[in-house]
Amino acid sequence: MPPLIDAVNVSKRFAGRLGREGTLALAGLSLTIDVDAPRVIAVVGESGSGKTTLARLLLGLTDPSGGEVRYCGTDLRRLGGAERLQFRRDVQAVFQDPYGVYNPFYRVDHVLRTPIRRFRLARTKAAGRDLVDGALHAVGLRPEEILGRFPHQLSGGQRQRVMVARALLLRPKLIVADEPVSMVDASLRATILSYLRRLADEHGISVLYITHDLATAYQVSDAIVVLYRAHVVEAGSVEPIVTAPQHPYTRLLISSIPRAEVTRDWLTTDDTNPRVSNAAGVTGCCFADRCPEVEAACLASLPEFRHTEARRAVACVQHRRHAVLPEGALDKVLL
Amino acid sequence: MSAAPILQIDGMCVAFDHPRGRIRAVDDISLSLLPGERLGLAGESGSGKSTLALSILLMIKPPGHMEAGVVRFLGSSVGDLNKEGIRELRLAGIALVPQGSMNSLNPVARISRQIADAFVDHGLRLADDERERRIADLLAQVGLPANVARMYPHELSGGMKQRACIAIAICLRPKVIIADEPTSALDVVVQRQVMATLARVQRELGAAVILIGHDMGLMAQFVDRLAIMYAGRLVEVAPIAEIISRPRHPYTRALIAALPSLHQRGALSGIPGLAPSLHDLPSGCAFHPRCSLAVQRCRGERPALREADGATVACHLA
Repeated sequence: MPPLIDAVNVSKRFAGRLGREGTLALAGLSLTIDVDAPRVIAVVGESGSGKTTLARLLLGLTDPSGGEVRYCGTDLRRLGGAERLQFRRDVQAVFQDPYGVYNPFYRVDHVLRTPIRRFRLARTKAAGRDLVDGALHAVGLRPEEILGRFPHQLSGGQRQRVMVARALLLRPKLIVADEPVSMVDASLRATILSYLRRLADEHGISVLYITHDLATAYQVSDAIVVLYRAHVVEAGSVEPIVTAPQHPYTRLLISSIPRAEVTRDWLTTDDTNPRVSNAAGVTGCCFADRCPEVEAACLASLPEFRHTEARRAVACVQHRRHAVLPEGALDKVLL
Repeated sequence: MSAAPILQIDGMCVAFDHPRGRIRAVDDISLSLLPGERLGLAGESGSGKSTLALSILLMIKPPGHMEAGVVRFLGSSVGDLNKEGIRELRLAGIALVPQGSMNSLNPVARISRQIADAFVDHGLRLADDERERRIADLLAQVGLPANVARMYPHELSGGMKQRACIAIAICLRPKVIIADEPTSALDVVVQRQVMATLARVQRELGAAVILIGHDMGLMAQFVDRLAIMYAGRLVEVAPIAEIISRPRHPYTRALIAALPSLHQRGALSGIPGLAPSLHDLPSGCAFHPRCSLAVQRCRGERPALREADGATVACHLA
């Protein structure tokens, strides 16, 4: 059986205006998400690294410029009506802004009842209510405190959990969560993320967790893909990547996290190198202009993806002694 | 530390009139800020951090009003200032970088004009070349290239816009900079660059900083002293090393524990329950319904702020 979602060498370039070169948002990336082993995969990178573009490609909201995204073996652009409906049910999204996704004129119930109606999830009103109650309970909310209210009467954390409950209603196979906690308080982040983790453990749903925060990715995910300026620079299982990062960019990301420790070394390290524009036709490594460990070989050509450990691959010339990871074999290190 | 405080807040109370009754967003807060000091103000959303910052600049608007409290800047009460004096105070004395300010830049004005506006508003008549020179200096100070002056906000990245806001904030060399969650919309790498910029600018000006936020990691790395707010009141004030190594208040401990660890997986713990509604504050200590250590006394009696070797804390158990 073909995998649920299969991205094959998918890339996206946004067209530039007349005379200007376009912006490469995502360079050829292959990723398979299968239903047999539900996992949480984190996609980590800074603003402009292509995280959200990847999410939109997998959700079929943006068409790729190269390669294709397949759902059960069929290109998303060629899905028939019934297949498309099933895709829309199997793959759910949770977005960044828990304020912007609600229509302020409708009660919160509306976002929960609409999918029940559209996908005919319940035969009777009572059965529909039971479904809603169950989904809200699953994300730690009490239905009597949520239903009948307007979005502005709920806190940001409650609103985001309602969005997770909405996704859960449809019993999807994959949830793509694009920065789901970047707009809620630090104290609520942990709660929402623990429910995302439970989706995989208790409900058998795979989660693609998109974030700029490696610390939360470390806490909830099984595998990590680190993106930088449209390119995957490091990928593999979460433990080795966070505890012993091999790509200089991953090291920069980890050292950028302010730690609640008495030792203060966060502001003393300086990384304010000038940034060269992404579209400036760089031939070598995409990180070369900011890399503290840059060498001549970095500027010559794009570094190949090297299989440094059983569960890890890195695109950096420092690891040139390792074997090249075959094209499209990224999944092997993410397992 | 015998220097006179540059800013002193005494018994500040800010209330909002609401159809369901009056609520107190800031309840009897006293704090002082020394010259050149970096003070953090931390707490969850709705704890009154931003309201307190606005009250310092007399910027509370109806239905809110200051019920009580005195703010002294350089020893004199800001409540006694006339309109012109208040205008002087804002930006020239105390500069506020409001939350989300990078999204409040005027989209149809170049950055240079938005900085020049501050000069004009404060009656600074500068010759064209002098004005250009000062704008270029300001941009260099916050680490932006000079050509940013001729750009519009949409041509800048988030980090650059936030630095442009810092440039506007420091253009009249204020004595106090209040930064309200200056990096909440930025990613970690850019966050460090913006905070390093703020730290450098502050040192160069010799200004004091009040940093508002909820990220205890950021506080640990940036501020000298931290004040923790909960439901409009102060629950703990202490030097940052004390707070990180020996947090006294259970709420402070919960805020620190809510940070995802980089050493241990699966140690993610949120603060149970929700922040209380200000309409219906719990009796006694406002934190008791969410506190795992609460005893009978916490339900009945509100703990007062008191000194306890090296920290000020409002908890019966500390």
